[in-house]
Amino acid sequence: MADLPSGATTQLKTFALKSGATVCGVADAAAFNARAPEKQRPDDLLPGARSVVVVGGAQPREGDWAATSPWVMQTMGTTERIQGVGRRLAQYIESEFGYYALYVPPGTASGDTPFLSLMLAAELAGLGSKSLAGPVLNRDHGFMYWSAVITTAPFEADAAEENPACPAPACREMWDRDRTTPCLATCPGDNGGCLSGKLENGRAVRTFYDAARCNTRVHTHWVGGFQKVLEETLNEPDRDKRKMLLYGDFFTRSLWAITYSSTNIAQCFECMRVCPAAHGLKEMK
Amino acid sequence: MSVFKLDPEVYKRYKDEVLKLCNSFQKIDQPGLSDKQIAERLGLDERTVTEIRCVAERDCYSLDEWEKAIEFKRKATLEWSALALKRPDLKPE
Repeated sequence: MADLPSGATTQLKTFALKSGATVCGVADAAAFNARAPEKQRPDDLLPGARSVVVVGGAQPREGDWAATSPWVMQTMGTTERIQGVGRRLAQYIESEFGYYALYVPPGTASGDTPFLSLMLAAELAGLGSKSLAGPVLNRDHGFMYWSAVITTAPFEADAAEENPACPAPACREMWDRDRTTPCLATCPGDNGGCLSGKLENGRAVRTFYDAARCNTRVHTHWVGGFQKVLEETLNEPDRDKRKMLLYGDFFTRSLWAITYSSTNIAQCFECMRVCPAAHGLKEMK
Repeated sequence: MSVFKLDPEVYKRYKDEVLKLCNSFQKIDQPGLSDKQIAERLGLDERTVTEIRCVAERDCYSLDEWEKAIEFKRKATLEWSALALKRPDLKPE
């Protein structure tokens, strides 16, 4: 922290929490090198990067999780709110400390590949650990959305979390009893779902993940779904049938999702909905 | 002048290998290779690998799987509502 004033990291984190983050952590930019491919590392985006500041928050509320329509979470599950905090942090780092600060764009660099894995950033910043289902879970707050800022400022890095939130005690009990967990049971890889795994010495071990199928669920009414219906429409010779595809609910909902949201949205929450570590940490009446 | 168009024959030939090596589909405890690294391994140029990967990401499942996703989510959501709200009447048939 040669050039940063004393207490700069604490000052930054306090600002992040005041700006609406639920949690804030710092990862050493070099820590990505061992776990992220080329072009998805902080230094690839901002040469000279020293730190990655990560904020998490904007969790769905229990009412959202309990809603009877999947389209509630599909609409509310957005990175948009935490992105605003990330943008403010980038501005703050440059104006307050005088270092370059690059807000990590929420979109993709090419195809479905992100500029930087926000989940990896959250893990390296000590804000959570990867669950058996995939998403990074924070021990105190469970499932949340992430935003990150790459900076040349040498903030103090946090240590990675040692005790993962997954598996939750209830999942260990379920595993001992039924040899499955809530997430594995709801989306089983051997029965049309995306996940397979096990608990080994109290730790979650994933053994199979069908990312392509997961993509059809997480982004049902999104870019992939739009492309699929468009392809089907272009291949359809009958004019009336083309109209049914283009004016139908699937295509309409996809257009609403794509055009209404300028940011990343998730559209499948079923492994997280049943996860005791992801939410439900406070009992509701 | 046009946008870069991938040769469909090149796509068919390398699709599986690119998908296997890339980072789009997470492996267990093993990061995938960058497009540049895959290009070097397969003797292709990086831009071609990027295009193969982008098309292949979308080409794994047919539109039917998207429709199945809708039904999966409808059912799973109602099952959770019934459990969380202690309303067995909400359970899907």
